Amino acid sequence: MNFWDISVKLLDGFGITCLLFILTLVFSLPLGLIISFGSMSKFKPLSWLCRTVVWIIRGTPLMLQLFVVFYVPGMLFGVRLFTGDDGRFLAALVAFVINYACYFSEIFRGGIESIPKGQYEAAQVLGMTARETFFTVIMMQVVKRILAPISNEVITLVKDTSLARVIAVGEIFFVNEMDFLSRGLVWPLFYIAVFFLVFVGVLTLLFGWCEKKLSYYKV
Amino acid sequence: MKRIITLMLAVVFVLSMAVSFSACGEKSDWETVKEQGYFVCGITVYAPMNYFDDDGNLTGFDTEFAEAVAKELGVEAKFQVISWPNKYMELDSGAIDLIWNGFTYGLESDGVARTEYVDFTYSYLENRQCLVTKADRVEELNSADALKGKKAVAEGGSSGEGVANELTGEDNVTTFTSQASALMELIAGNADFAVIDYQMANAMVGKGDYASLSINNAIEPESEVYAIGCRKGSDLTAKINEAIKTLYENGTMATIAAKYKLTNDLVTDLGAAE
Repeated sequence: MNFWDISVKLLDGFGITCLLFILTLVFSLPLGLIISFGSMSKFKPLSWLCRTVVWIIRGTPLMLQLFVVFYVPGMLFGVRLFTGDDGRFLAALVAFVINYACYFSEIFRGGIESIPKGQYEAAQVLGMTARETFFTVIMMQVVKRILAPISNEVITLVKDTSLARVIAVGEIFFVNEMDFLSRGLVWPLFYIAVFFLVFVGVLTLLFGWCEKKLSYYKV
Repeated sequence: MKRIITLMLAVVFVLSMAVSFSACGEKSDWETVKEQGYFVCGITVYAPMNYFDDDGNLTGFDTEFAEAVAKELGVEAKFQVISWPNKYMELDSGAIDLIWNGFTYGLESDGVARTEYVDFTYSYLENRQCLVTKADRVEELNSADALKGKKAVAEGGSSGEGVANELTGEDNVTTFTSQASALMELIAGNADFAVIDYQMANAMVGKGDYASLSINNAIEPESEVYAIGCRKGSDLTAKINEAIKTLYENGTMATIAAKYKLTNDLVTDLGAAE
């Protein structure tokens, strides 16, 4: 097996890694915002529910959550939720989205609560509705403030995707383990590092650029 | 805004509960397999049972055997690479339908009979556990005494793990997700010996990537047999047994065995494992 073949196989696996990464972001960011509203809600049962969920998800290993999502429905209820060729990928996606939504929700909560109360009062005086206040006044300020912690989570997510291999999702580490490591080829393991370094490098540049674009009120 | 969010959360919650309880329609394994048109075999990749040829196609004795059985049943065989220690969880959750990968009819490494977890079909191939060491250490590690206290590796939840435990004590045995990764440890020099299936050792050790290793005859473990593991109480077991019988009668089994040079190890007395 030559360098070219190995690159193609690893790229295949990295495709799955990227897909898992992107889809997780797409679904977990909005879900995280909803959970953060839930945990800030004045309706106590809802805020307790959300905070308990966040506690459980942040308090248990992601690997365990992958097992629970993929195996438990079938074992306890006899339901095959994730069947077919994409079943394992979907199960991993569900686990990742729930997990990351909880982490994001706390970042959002921190960001939203950091905006001075006076701004809400000022908006009210100007006759803005709660919705208008949030979307036109508060949200962009929050985005600016939370960009750095979000970038941290996003970069962690890139590397966390490798955990999906515990339920045999064909991401890059699984491909490597099954096709190369098991045959005694060790160097592809270090080759994989290059994939991640490049990907995270691009993300870092992207976040740096965003931060610059958003720093328009700084003198 | 807040009310909308509350409502959405409630809907999500109710939906998830509904999904988990409504879908409990009980169908037998065979009905499910027939309906979807395939069964899924849980495998790990190793020669001669399930491995990739030079063109990247999955082949091997168990691969062809499973495909022949599937053809007999009028369905397709699919193969899913799994982490071997998770095999019962994979099976019970329905993620795979069969454990079909040189699966030894016998005991778990903790001494519990595997029949506690699965229903076995007819056994079909003979095997024994096999000691593998680095080629240059065969002389040194030549007896059960020499192995005592040495560091061992094996696949987690394999028969080999049990043998390794007996030889050197549980504390000295490290387990991995596949037999191949156990051999990797041996090559890397992290362990003194590995215990894996004879069938795998015979096909892979001493060649290619495993050229630095050698089969070591310091111990003579009892012989054992491979069978296919089905979910407990599954009606798939009987169906597969029927198909196996047909494949023996029409000579397909002998042909596949000959192709992989396993003729001498083929079980001839069907039903021995029952």
